Amino acid sequence: MSKFIRLDMTTQKVKIEEVPEKYRALGGRALTSQFVLDEVPATCHPLGPKNKLIIAPGLLSGTSAPSSGRLSIGGKSPLTGGIKEANAGGITSQKLASLGIKAIVIEGKPEKGTFIARVTADSVEIIPADDLAGKGTYELTAILKERYNEKAGVICIGPAGEMKMLSAGITNNDPEGNSSRYAGRGGLGAVMGSKGLKAIVVECDKTFDAPVKDKERFKTAARKFADILLKHPVCGEGLPKFGTNVLMNIINEAGTLPTRNFRTGRFDAAGEVSGEKLAEVAVARGGKATHACHPGCVMRCSNVYPMPDGKVCAPIEYETAWCFGPNLEISDLDVVAKLNYICNDVGLDTIEAGCTLGVLMEAGVIPFGDGQAAIKALEEVVKGTPLGRIIGAGAAVAGKVYGVTRVPAVKGQSIPAYDPRSCRGNGVTYATTPMGADHTAGYAVTANILKVGGYVDPNKDDGQIELSRNLQVATAAVDATGLCLFVAFAVLDNEEGLPTIVEMLNAQYGTELTVEDVTALGQQILKNEREFNAKAGFTKADDRLPEFFYEEELTPHKTKFALKEELDEVFNF
Amino acid sequence: MLLEVRLYSGLEKYVENAQYGKPIQVELPEGATVKQLLDKLGIPQEQVFSVLVNGTHYNCSDVMEDGDRVALFPPVGGG
Repeated sequence: MSKFIRLDMTTQKVKIEEVPEKYRALGGRALTSQFVLDEVPATCHPLGPKNKLIIAPGLLSGTSAPSSGRLSIGGKSPLTGGIKEANAGGITSQKLASLGIKAIVIEGKPEKGTFIARVTADSVEIIPADDLAGKGTYELTAILKERYNEKAGVICIGPAGEMKMLSAGITNNDPEGNSSRYAGRGGLGAVMGSKGLKAIVVECDKTFDAPVKDKERFKTAARKFADILLKHPVCGEGLPKFGTNVLMNIINEAGTLPTRNFRTGRFDAAGEVSGEKLAEVAVARGGKATHACHPGCVMRCSNVYPMPDGKVCAPIEYETAWCFGPNLEISDLDVVAKLNYICNDVGLDTIEAGCTLGVLMEAGVIPFGDGQAAIKALEEVVKGTPLGRIIGAGAAVAGKVYGVTRVPAVKGQSIPAYDPRSCRGNGVTYATTPMGADHTAGYAVTANILKVGGYVDPNKDDGQIELSRNLQVATAAVDATGLCLFVAFAVLDNEEGLPTIVEMLNAQYGTELTVEDVTALGQQILKNEREFNAKAGFTKADDRLPEFFYEEELTPHKTKFALKEELDEVFNF
Repeated sequence: MLLEVRLYSGLEKYVENAQYGKPIQVELPEGATVKQLLDKLGIPQEQVFSVLVNGTHYNCSDVMEDGDRVALFPPVGGG
């Protein structure tokens, strides 16, 4: 039977309950956002006892649906002050679903102490774990796997989360035990840290054991969906060959690669930190250019990058290669890997950390292009020094501390790897998504740059509002299913894509959903998130980009962002 | 006219001694199209998913100009 697990951290008592009727048809982001709207007071302090953290596998997680192992984590974000859903790959989502767990809710706050939770098929317990306080995520994951179960999935935070830094993430491990699959954005690691919970160990040897009502029907639909993915040029060829960092060169050529803290749109040395270079170096050092973050993924866009110090950074994603590379004018992939590894270990969102270092470079605290200075600065985080805490607090805070006006953030969250002036559909998404600047919330790079799902000129305003709206609705729905967002490349280009997802859902749950229902679900998720944010005090003024994008031209296309009031039309459904 | 051409993500294998991202100079008659460029380089049209000329998407029938920066890509994606 499907169940809700509540970890009351005030009393350290566990409550296992039947899933409330209202939540039975929900999963992933649909569930986390509805739950946060229902149970978290919008004006509460994100690090206080009234905030709650909810961890939920997607609706299709734990089945044979390809690439369906995404885990959603929700709560009130300490970084943005609004609602947050951050989602991750890794192996834990499938394990939770296979155990019949709809969600784990973490609530309350202990007076003191560090705890872990242990989840097995038979029991759930909260265990004092002061001995694990301050551990980096890699060591912590290794210790917990050894202590409890080598095959366990470990959801955990690093010291940044324990220190309640605003951009701390929550990670879980890949099949090899790398604690690098982050629900990174928005500081949910600080929420977990505020509740004294260092880790959740999920023990389950099964991966594809989630209950399915009509197994044959499901199998047929899942096979068809795998076929749709594999036949698509991006999902079937592009992503498996070079991973997400294959984007580096095309975004650079398109002139929308944010360089030197969003000053220009091209970086001369972009090729040095691109997916092609990564594949070359990784393979030469015995790593892998392609790798699956969870079993059953057909796109395998991850990688394994051996570093000169003998450690392994797996993966280096495009966003991370960008924020520590062109954004800081750093062209050394080993430096990028080191910065990435430090973030994974200490428990920080890489995008936020990269943008924050960009702001510190803007302020002259460290020089642009100085990789060693960037590493040294990031190493301050684990020590909890004032500089380390400023870095952990994110770009918006760092900008305030140092008096910097060029701060690429919306609703307090840093802007990712596509400049909104020459990828305007993404600009609309950054400005309006309830999440704070987030490329995954409505990835208009598809139609703006990649020519997937049609074409909308990235340097013009026409069509961008509608593009972002449609993508935000579709993305919210995909985030409910547990499917990796990258399935969208195929689904946008193949009219059988969405009906096949609906067919899988109906076969699994015995429902009679239609494609229209899925669209309605996406819209409802966004409405819920907007309602929470409105209650938390957000207004239209929060749905705008930072001033400098409207004032300063971006080369090479000499573009400025111009959309303002039009942005208020995004959610007119 | 002279074009500055960059090949990426595996397309470089069609051109001898080419390396990804390293510009190669290609001479074509005035008014040449993207298709003519692909033919001259020996890159099958179906392998080319995106053509960016000075950062703007071009189709195979579009005409280029002297000094253009041309980048050719197979299907790529990520995020």
